[in-house]
Amino acid sequence: MRMKLVASVAVCALTTMALAPNAHRNAGGTVAGKVTFTGTPPKMKPIDMAKEPSCAKEHATPVMNESVVTGAGSTLGDVVVYISAGAPSGAAPASPAVFDQKGCQYLPHVLAMQAGQKLEVKNDDQTSHNIHPLSKVNPEWNKSQPPGAPPIEVAYDKPEFIPVKCNVHPWMHGYFAVLNTSHSAVTGSDGSFSLAGLPPGKYTVTAWQERFGTQSQEVTITGNETAKLDFVLKATEY
Amino acid sequence: MSRVARHITSIAALSVVALLTAAAGRAQTVHGLPREGRGADIKANTHVGRVAIGKEEYKRYCAGCHGDRGDGIGENTQWIDPKPRDFTQAVFKCRSTPSGTLPTDQDVINTIRRGIVNSNMPQWRPLPDQMEADLLAYIKTFSPRWTSEKPGTPFVIPPETPVTTESILAGRAMFQKFECWKCHGADGRGDGPSASSLTDSKDQPIHPYDFTTGTRFKCGTTNADLYRIFMTGLDGTPMASFADNIKGDQGWDLVHYLRTLQPLRTPETILWKTWLATHAAELKPIGPPADGR
Amino acid sequence: MRSTKQGYSTPQLLVCALLASVTATTPAHATVTRHGDSTVTLQSTATSGRRTANDASRAYMASIQNGEPRATASYAATRVKKIPAFARKYGLRCSACHTVWPELNSFGQQFRDNGYQLRNERDSPIAQNNAYFPMTIRVTPQFHVERGTRQLVDATPGDAESGQVERTLTSHGFDLSGIDIWTAGTLWKNVSFVVLLSGDNLGSFGFEAMHVRFDNLGDSPWLNLKVGKFELDNLVSEKRFLFLSGNGGSYQSYHFVAPGSSVDFGIGDNQIGAELSGHSLNSYTRYSAAVLTSSDGDPGSGNFSSYDANLNLSQAFDGGKLGVERIGAFAYLGERPNTYQTSGGEQIPGSGSNRKMFYRAGLAGDFFLHRLEFLPLYMHANDNAYLASGADNGAPLPIGARDASWNGGFLETHYYINQQLVLLQRVEAVRMQNQGFTDLPHNLGNVDAYTFGTRWYPFMFSRAGLALHGEYSLAKTVSPGQLETEGSTINIWTSSLLFAFDFDF
Repeated sequence: MRMKLVASVAVCALTTMALAPNAHRNAGGTVAGKVTFTGTPPKMKPIDMAKEPSCAKEHATPVMNESVVTGAGSTLGDVVVYISAGAPSGAAPASPAVFDQKGCQYLPHVLAMQAGQKLEVKNDDQTSHNIHPLSKVNPEWNKSQPPGAPPIEVAYDKPEFIPVKCNVHPWMHGYFAVLNTSHSAVTGSDGSFSLAGLPPGKYTVTAWQERFGTQSQEVTITGNETAKLDFVLKATEY
Repeated sequence: MSRVARHITSIAALSVVALLTAAAGRAQTVHGLPREGRGADIKANTHVGRVAIGKEEYKRYCAGCHGDRGDGIGENTQWIDPKPRDFTQAVFKCRSTPSGTLPTDQDVINTIRRGIVNSNMPQWRPLPDQMEADLLAYIKTFSPRWTSEKPGTPFVIPPETPVTTESILAGRAMFQKFECWKCHGADGRGDGPSASSLTDSKDQPIHPYDFTTGTRFKCGTTNADLYRIFMTGLDGTPMASFADNIKGDQGWDLVHYLRTLQPLRTPETILWKTWLATHAAELKPIGPPADGR
Repeated sequence: MRSTKQGYSTPQLLVCALLASVTATTPAHATVTRHGDSTVTLQSTATSGRRTANDASRAYMASIQNGEPRATASYAATRVKKIPAFARKYGLRCSACHTVWPELNSFGQQFRDNGYQLRNERDSPIAQNNAYFPMTIRVTPQFHVERGTRQLVDATPGDAESGQVERTLTSHGFDLSGIDIWTAGTLWKNVSFVVLLSGDNLGSFGFEAMHVRFDNLGDSPWLNLKVGKFELDNLVSEKRFLFLSGNGGSYQSYHFVAPGSSVDFGIGDNQIGAELSGHSLNSYTRYSAAVLTSSDGDPGSGNFSSYDANLNLSQAFDGGKLGVERIGAFAYLGERPNTYQTSGGEQIPGSGSNRKMFYRAGLAGDFFLHRLEFLPLYMHANDNAYLASGADNGAPLPIGARDASWNGGFLETHYYINQQLVLLQRVEAVRMQNQGFTDLPHNLGNVDAYTFGTRWYPFMFSRAGLALHGEYSLAKTVSPGQLETEGSTINIWTSSLLFAFDFDF
């Protein structure tokens, strides 16, 4: 019974998420662009999951550390791009932000959500995880989630970039980006992002990367156009 | 005079003997639990704290480690491990409330009173109740969370179930299933595969509890305290809350098993040793499943 | 001179020095001795045969001229016991254990009762950094003024034949205290030790305290055993009190000796023996029972083979907004031999027999009214007639001899302006109830004393301590008349004024 309910909630969530961008796109302007870097980023090392065989066998090739994800042409992935000022206020989306644990990795590595939005943490592994978001502004909690346990459902009230770790599997690191807005995107490894559905106005757009910090730019939307905005973050080796 | 004095001497000697006998008798009645936690810890404190007085007493008793600003940076912090609590975060290990929520007043006062074993936090038992309330009132001024949030709803711990072999075995299965051994080790020695990499929320290395040498826990001594610890988790440390996964009487099974790991003469240990003597071979070892699951 | 009974304290030596100058020309008592010698003086100066009240009175007067007139004033206790070594070990501020150092607060009492342990499973030395060594020194550089009225001096200085007159003598100057070198700590979990090496300001050392303690026997705080030389479990400690001056640096009642009595015991003296003690977890309820060698703490003394007992009980209460209130009772039951085996007339140490008893018993308290602290004490004392009259080795009781008894007490008050500034005062009295000889003046030996002072601690942290100390103390002792007043009594006033830097590290 419970499983069924969860499943249907999940299905609903997925549908809403799929539909949401379209809704925005029809309503107003878009800011889109690419995030790249200059300089030398640190070399990501492979993770040794030998201590957790049930996860190790899910990966044919060793998983790399994800704190800096790059693509061809110096593009930067896992960058949160969001409207940090000027965004129309609005209630948090009804759909939950979903954070999955699979193969002893966080999917996604960085999860953006709006303050007050429901967060759902799932465990698709055959091992116990503990989810330990190290929040400073929001209350810090730490919960265990054995295999097959129902999703943990929580919400954060205040904007904050929260590092997430699993103490049992020290290599697991992720981030919750709790924002004041629903207008946010997380870049793929190609560095591209798109923030749609923006009514005319002047906006500050900010890009945040867990190692390289933040960068902000201003942009003005007048109609249904797509404003192009690129970010170049300075990579530091450590 | 000397007859009177001799009389006094013998009365005195007798009373000493009586006192010692009483003390020794008391020591034996409890099944190996350390003396702390036999009731004195849970004395309710209903005094209303006074911030101004609390501030003075904080300077006297607390500031050397917790810092004048309550940020856990006092003159001694650099020499102390584990580091003193940072009150500006309002994150507390010992609570009766769910992970992520504020503790109740009594939770904090209990911590002041019983101290934290394996740390420099002493047992401030002699402080008058009023002073503990005053200290708490002042500690609350360090974080706005105390004004913007309410303490969580304390877990209700069900009455303890009987200690049986079945209960201990069920608890052992939980120890395996919930992977307690990953940190606490297969024998509870605090040497599990993840133990060495653990850090607290301030990135300080931290050790999982070693059941085989410890008699007291960070947050109490009794079976109910132990139950409460894995329900609430110890916020700010890697010890997670298992409240979503352990319900009701199940928790007592885990408590009963954990007790068998300790160097105490508890009913659990006695029963377990007797059972093990004839059934040890039936047990699958604790640890990673051979098939990789 | 005998080895020190206690570590020297400066005020004591000062008074001794002052009196030494007074008595230097008195041939019969050329050496200024410490109080512990007074009984020897008494016994050796007595002529053979029965002693009379006059003998006793003369002997008492002699002892007064000998540098112990105020029975106690020249007998300041060694003061120690604020222990940065522990602050360093555990990282707590001095103020955690002390109201103001060296006086313990309720938490400090618990720490001490636990055998210098926090009981956090880190008390054993293995839990400490290798570099940690549990050592503390305490010294007190100072300026002081000592004054005594009606001191006997030669009418013409330098002329021993010119007759004697009474003069008031005053001396003053900068001076050093002695030093306390205190090591104390744990040897293992629940095994602790104390070694207190106490030196005078000339560098002569004695063992003020030296004991080992086994704590929490059977995992019970009610059973702890201590063996060695240690302070009696006095509710109002003289070792951790806040006074330093020559007159004020000891409690009169803790060292008073009835006129003519041979009992050398003072409840403020550290004793040698074994003590069983216990306490509730918060140390609100405490008891101790000690068996002590009858030597008043002198190692190697001639009073072996005889034992004293000391009992203490106290109970504290949570006084709410006022603080922790404690009340207690104590009893010390002692024996001293009246007969010794001799060899060539010399007493053989440890061969005493025919023991006679004395006791001290009373009530004490420690009460807080928030910033105001009261320390009251009442004590009744009784010495058996043989001891009270200083009867000679094996001789029958002198005519007119009887049990001596007296009552003593004090009320001490502290006002804590803040955690680093305290005002102090103390009023004391000792009243003879029965003299050891029926015909001694009933008030001979009575003492009244008043002391006030202040201590300021300019900084407060967990590594060391410094206090700026100011104190004035005035005492009146009823003494035997001298010169034209011989046969009656006179009041001798002594006073001490002290400004000191009291520090420990």
